[in-house]
Amino acid sequence: MVGLLALFVYPFLVSLYWSFCEYDLINPPRVVGLANYQQLASEFASGTGIAKALWNTGYYALISVPLSIVLGVSLASLLSCDIRGQSIFRTLFYLPSVIPVVAASILWMWLLNPTDGLVNSILGSLGLWKPQWFASPNELVSANAFASSAWANNATPIGSKDALILMSLWGMGNFMVIYLAAIGDIPKSLYEAARIDGAGPLRRFWNVTLPLLTPVIFFNLVMGLIQSVQAFTQIYIVSEGRGAPADSTLMLSLQLFLSAFQHLDMGYASAVAWLLFAILGVSTWLLFRTSRRWVYEGVR
Amino acid sequence: MPANPSMRSFLTITLALLLGTGLVTAQQWLSRGNHQVPTDREEVVFWHFWGGADRVIVEDVAQRFNESQAKYFVRPVAMPGNNLDLKFFLSVTGGDPPDLLNIDDPVIADWGHRGAILPLDEVASPEEVARLEAWLFPAARRLVTYEGQLYGVPNGLDIRALYYNQTMLDRYGLSPPRTIADLDHIAETIAPPGKSQPYDCHGYLPDSRRIWAWGPVFGGQFYDADQQKVTLTNPGIEVALAWMVSYRDRYGAAEIARFRHGDQSLPGKTFPLFADRYAVVMDGQWRVRDIRAFQKSQQEKGEPVTQFGVIPLPSPPDGKQNAGWVNGNNFVIPRGAKCPSGAWAFMQFWCGFDGHEAEAAETSVAGGWIPVSQQVVDQPAFQKFLNAEPMFRTFINLAGSDQQYPVPVIPGAPYFNNRVKSLAEQAMSSAAKPDLKQMLEEAQTQIQTHIDRARSQE
Repeated sequence: MVGLLALFVYPFLVSLYWSFCEYDLINPPRVVGLANYQQLASEFASGTGIAKALWNTGYYALISVPLSIVLGVSLASLLSCDIRGQSIFRTLFYLPSVIPVVAASILWMWLLNPTDGLVNSILGSLGLWKPQWFASPNELVSANAFASSAWANNATPIGSKDALILMSLWGMGNFMVIYLAAIGDIPKSLYEAARIDGAGPLRRFWNVTLPLLTPVIFFNLVMGLIQSVQAFTQIYIVSEGRGAPADSTLMLSLQLFLSAFQHLDMGYASAVAWLLFAILGVSTWLLFRTSRRWVYEGVR
Repeated sequence: MPANPSMRSFLTITLALLLGTGLVTAQQWLSRGNHQVPTDREEVVFWHFWGGADRVIVEDVAQRFNESQAKYFVRPVAMPGNNLDLKFFLSVTGGDPPDLLNIDDPVIADWGHRGAILPLDEVASPEEVARLEAWLFPAARRLVTYEGQLYGVPNGLDIRALYYNQTMLDRYGLSPPRTIADLDHIAETIAPPGKSQPYDCHGYLPDSRRIWAWGPVFGGQFYDADQQKVTLTNPGIEVALAWMVSYRDRYGAAEIARFRHGDQSLPGKTFPLFADRYAVVMDGQWRVRDIRAFQKSQQEKGEPVTQFGVIPLPSPPDGKQNAGWVNGNNFVIPRGAKCPSGAWAFMQFWCGFDGHEAEAAETSVAGGWIPVSQQVVDQPAFQKFLNAEPMFRTFINLAGSDQQYPVPVIPGAPYFNNRVKSLAEQAMSSAAKPDLKQMLEEAQTQIQTHIDRARSQE
């Protein structure tokens, strides 16, 4: 109980108080009303600061989470097939998620080095484009990506956030294990019944596996969204701790960190933290609201 | 289920005891170390971020200081450099700061403004402070002055100049650049624009972070201290940025990003000039030692020895000579330090102020550091070093120039620093031709808002 109060309730409440204060960690907090939230609103209106961080975070979360679900379910389905070396494959796919984030980030910075990283070496040997990855602020999912000029003269619209998304997919073993367990729990009788009804592998997946996986997909969707919005360590490492290149990796978590400990503006950082909390709260609430339409909850 | 639970318990207890004993012994051994404070001395806890060979030099300076007098005892504590400012702030908030801190981020004004560090007026007499001001190089003085007060002393300066690979220039029949036009000529001769394949080497490529250096070279100023206004739209800054962006126009944003990122994958972070990737590179004085070590290794292997040189940043016709960006490692005394007078004494000893010039010259030679005063440079030990290492003289001359500027020493400087770097990155990596005027205006407004906000917080 003491731990809960000291490590959860107190920081929770004090950060709410600080979000209405000017506080630099040295001098006592001074109440300034809504000034920090007004600052957030003005940055949002002008498309600077927090607006950039929101865009970057949204881009990262809204692409990486659905991709991790699609790939995680696909991989789990493949790995649940009765094939030789099944446990070896499962271990191999799970292994990246036990590698410390710092080590994984440095490894990916080597792999994605535009000049002589392994990924670009392979792409180059196949005669494909060689993206700039962490060296470029470009975005693959953008209107610019459709312009022919974006792909001309060795250029690609693939940049730092796309590289971070790739990194996040590499570490999706945690989610895959949950899907595997859920697939293992699906009664065999349902597959047998579907087979007797003449359903092929794809139809069995679509009509049996997927509906029965929806509770787990929902769980992973909520957890994945929270994790991706709160992602910090890998972003700090690949962005030189400042959102480089050109603020393209300045996510909400990094903006919060820099405001608190580099700009000594703990009040503004607390307001960012509460904005983050509100975004996650509203997103989770919306997901719960929509879940009734697509999550199978058994026969009521 | 284990066959013999009592044996398992015995082993667990034995292991725990061994571990506990080991930890207690190690703690006692580590705390004894080389820094046992004599009972008749006042301890000065000094946090620094140096590791490896530099740490040995720091320990040596502390030892020499401790042997030189009988009042104070400096205990250097090597801290991880990453986020040292955060650790320091938490120590101040927790009420247990060190007595002296060495920091290289542009935080003097932020910390001074908030009362986290002491102005030197509080530890030294006005006469001493006045003499120190006159004694320091202009660049060193700028680094630690906020609103007319000194908030620390740099223990060394970091100056940038242009290194060139003479052997490579000779291959192309080129001379070291004396003007911006020369530099552009070198770039275009070694890497003619318009090539469809990626380049293997470049004559020169500007690094977007170095807008801080090129701005003053083109006659620009980032900040007007009298008006307290950010001046990014100053013509000199705009011309400097436009010149840097002209390289993007020549080679394309993708090629510049690709090539510059490739520098990071050189084994052991090799100086890119050694790998024949560039003919000309901007870097700091520490590369002089790297060059000597590289040439020595070439000699030992029986390879032809590559010749290098270093010159001040070349300027355009209406630019500034010997201009550039300076940063440094600064000693600051935290508010709440238990022994500020001891910290001040050690600062003087290290930097060479008030009769310690000879010791400081010895320290600078050992570390390959640029002294903060001409009086230290003039010491026989340092002159001997300069005679043996003529490339270093370029940096010493630049240290004495009054055209070397740091990131403005104002509250909000870390944001100012990052925002300007980000602006240059955006301009140089832009897929479409960037509107520099608009970008500079937007950044100027944002930075001004930020520093006004930082300044208003007391």
